[in-house]
Amino acid sequence: MMNGLNETGLAKFKGNLISLKDSFLESFLRNGKITSDKSRAAVMFNNFFLHVQGVKTHLNTLRPNYTFGLGLISLFLLLIAFASGIFLMVYYNPSTSNAFNTVKDINFVVSGGRLMRNIHKWSGEAMIIAVFLHMARVFYTGSYAKGRQFNWVIGIGLLVLTCILNLTGYMLPWDQLSYWAMVIVSNIMNSPKEITDIFGITQYFDIGGFQKELFLGGLNPGQESLTRVFLLHIIMLPSIISVVVGIHFWRIRKDGGLTRPENFEPMDTDASYALPPSKKGGIFPTYKTYGLMELARGRTPAVDNDVENTVLSWPNTLIAELAVFMMTAAVILVYAFYVDAPLKELANATLPENPAKAPWYFLGFQELVSYSAFMGGIVLPTMGVVGLLLIPYLDREEQNVGTWFSNKQGVWVTLQSTILGAVGLIGVLAFSINFGWFRNWWPEIPQLLIVLVNPGSIWVGFIIVWSLYTIKRTGSTRMGAIALFTMAMVTYVILTYTGTELRGPNWNFYWSQSQWPVH
Amino acid sequence: MHSRFYLSLLLISALFVLAYTGLAVNRELSNEWHQHQSQYKEFLIKNAKSEAARKRAEGIETGAIRQIYLSSLNKADRCMSCHMGLENPLMASGNLPYKQHSGHYLQTHAVAKFGCTVCHFGQGRATNMKEAHGMGRDTFWDYPIIPFKYIQSSCAICHDVKMLEAEGMHTVVNGERLFREKGCRGCHKLGGVGGDLGAALDGVASRPLHYFPMAHVIGDRTAYNWVKQHFEDPRGIVPTSEMKVSLTGEEADQLTTFIFTLRREELPSNYKLIKNITVQATDGASLFKMYCSGCHGTGKQSIYDEVLDRTIPAITNSAFLRLIDDYSLKSIIDAGRSGTQMTAWKDTASGLKEKELARIIEYVAENRPTQIPEPFGYNKENRDTARGKTLYEQRCNFCHGNDGRGGGRKLGINLRNSTVQNLLQSEFLAKTVLYGRKGTPMPSFGAEGEGLGNQEIADVIAYVKTLGKKKTR
Repeated sequence: MMNGLNETGLAKFKGNLISLKDSFLESFLRNGKITSDKSRAAVMFNNFFLHVQGVKTHLNTLRPNYTFGLGLISLFLLLIAFASGIFLMVYYNPSTSNAFNTVKDINFVVSGGRLMRNIHKWSGEAMIIAVFLHMARVFYTGSYAKGRQFNWVIGIGLLVLTCILNLTGYMLPWDQLSYWAMVIVSNIMNSPKEITDIFGITQYFDIGGFQKELFLGGLNPGQESLTRVFLLHIIMLPSIISVVVGIHFWRIRKDGGLTRPENFEPMDTDASYALPPSKKGGIFPTYKTYGLMELARGRTPAVDNDVENTVLSWPNTLIAELAVFMMTAAVILVYAFYVDAPLKELANATLPENPAKAPWYFLGFQELVSYSAFMGGIVLPTMGVVGLLLIPYLDREEQNVGTWFSNKQGVWVTLQSTILGAVGLIGVLAFSINFGWFRNWWPEIPQLLIVLVNPGSIWVGFIIVWSLYTIKRTGSTRMGAIALFTMAMVTYVILTYTGTELRGPNWNFYWSQSQWPVH
Repeated sequence: MHSRFYLSLLLISALFVLAYTGLAVNRELSNEWHQHQSQYKEFLIKNAKSEAARKRAEGIETGAIRQIYLSSLNKADRCMSCHMGLENPLMASGNLPYKQHSGHYLQTHAVAKFGCTVCHFGQGRATNMKEAHGMGRDTFWDYPIIPFKYIQSSCAICHDVKMLEAEGMHTVVNGERLFREKGCRGCHKLGGVGGDLGAALDGVASRPLHYFPMAHVIGDRTAYNWVKQHFEDPRGIVPTSEMKVSLTGEEADQLTTFIFTLRREELPSNYKLIKNITVQATDGASLFKMYCSGCHGTGKQSIYDEVLDRTIPAITNSAFLRLIDDYSLKSIIDAGRSGTQMTAWKDTASGLKEKELARIIEYVAENRPTQIPEPFGYNKENRDTARGKTLYEQRCNFCHGNDGRGGGRKLGINLRNSTVQNLLQSEFLAKTVLYGRKGTPMPSFGAEGEGLGNQEIADVIAYVKTLGKKKTR
């Protein structure tokens, strides 16, 4: 008997050993093999990373022509940038004497270094484009309504964070581009001086000088500035953006997933995006869904409408997400394989780049800065951001949420605003390029007049008037918002193009870079 | 089947990711230096003369970047990653990039201490030829590899002229001589000594590429071509240049070689044998060449200069010297002539020492005739400036201009500058008018020449002395 007991113990141990893999996986995943709808649901809510998504996903969300996957693409670009950034951080040394050398070494001797640097650079810049397009998608589908107002605000915050992250990264290699970008940014921070000087209060209240010194840690870019920018880029901004992205997603879940049209009808083509909802029941009858937050007070996740058109997130949503991730990775990898991230000469404080250009995503604002640093660098961008923030609060119409451009009228207003915006802005630019502005006509004119009245401020004024007129004409705040947003986007694109391609040395106009005077 | 659309997107994207990861790895492993290393090894194995040599060749390590790190210079030179045969005597007649370094230089300049870019420049950290040699503006490298014909300039960073001459470095030695004898320092300061018309030349060879306006450079837009071509045709390269030099071919190369010795101090002193290549001139004749001949030439003849747009007076001919004493000469040299290209040469302005200025004056005045003309005997009393004005307007303004400014296609000098107005004595001016200046367009206005009486000349001088107080325009 003793022997037998012994044997039983060993046999138990042997049995445990054999089933080690299964028992470990079960403890790790907290559910068994995925065989049923119940286990498919369990995968989602038992997993820390997945439970931010619903157990079931609406079919509309899976249609690629509704979201174009832009939010996910932005997230994946961020993750790619994080991963490649950690790689670069191993080699990069944030000192003015070594930063440039270490970046050169990353390019020349670190295995895969050049590719990683390219991936980091291009994923960061692609993220700006993705976030912009994502914002446009959310706007044109009216998805800032129905309790999502604040999530729109968070999204705008993420857009700003994305731009600042890119900008701070641009300043790290300590080449000519970095140095003169720092100079431009510090000048913009210094630009409230333009106003305080006019009122003669600079010596009592020098907000511009304070901002500039806070950013640079001195009066000129140097080691102190590089240290600050480095900390911003690798610790502060990534931490903040991670948390804010988390909140952004969590709120989507709380708001019941993505928006969808109220009159949603499943189509045959949906079958190629997801397994069609099973009508046979299973443990999740299509007429009912289960909120996981039933103990939570107040508003629970809004999951209980249009249940019949939802499918299980596992595997439908996860496959879609994996595909979008792979596509993002592929695009970035291929682009980074062929196109090198720029790296110019070592920073040289005595040799200004001419033209000294900010990174492309800020060149639209730099075009405005060329009229007035304070207006173009601070007031108008702030107005732009505040204007975007206010959209969901000033337009509270909830009809047609989830439909691109709301309705036929919306398509028409978008088209109208695009054409009017393009023609009008190009006209304003052409005028100021050909005929100059106040300073050229009346050299003695007070600066205050130019700060207030310049091509940039006139144009922004026109956009505001146009959208108010649209509200009056259509009787719909949503139409006014569409007019405003469309014009703002058109303006951003055209100004960015002008600043990037059409401006040469001394910020003079050239049709292309090949016409720049040889230096 | 789960979502056809997303699965095919996943599949296609995954294939792209796989393919390009493969391509990236392949590019890493088949880059220039990898290829050069294995070709070098193959070559040595194939051409091995003995079994031992073949064994050695087979033992050569490939697939690793080879570099010299110079900690005191914060330089990393990776040139030998491709230039594998740099120190291999068997490769003395090999092809680039495997060739052994020419000459005996590496015996005295250990690669481990000096690396490569200290002498040859280029981008030591780079690991492909285009970027390592820094060729082309798109490499964004300010100091491309130095062309072979100018390489002697690098020797002069550390060695003095005597040694270079003994070693047969004629290009740079001749360049240094040209620099002294063409009067470059008449306009350019070096080490704080020299004129002010041109830019100071200290560290000019270490300037970033953007300092050199490349619009008119022919061929590659490098600093080397810029410097050479602007010696051949200064205004062809910089249209507004006032530089008075035009060298051809060999001389331009020699002076260019010298210019590229003028580097910013970068090497610690334990790398260098000397501080500065330039020979110190001590005698009057050399000093005159170095500082004066750029404009005045030999000084025997006055020259109307198209570029400077004015007449440069003769200063060593006897006609001038018999009129001017050392005091007036020194006054003019010290203060310069404001309004002309003649800058002030007093020690605080030019960096020249008093002793050197004295030697130059001694040299200039060498040919002063022993017979000097009788004094004019100018006195201030009873001068009729009104009559002087009339006479000036009749006789002088054709060359010196109504306002006395001269210049601008006029032959005369500016009479309004402070040297004429304040420093030079009326006695000297009167003598100049009376006897004229042979070798310049200034004729004698005395009884033997244009026929003015002493009284009239004195009145003209009195009027000229008032010009400085008048406002014109």
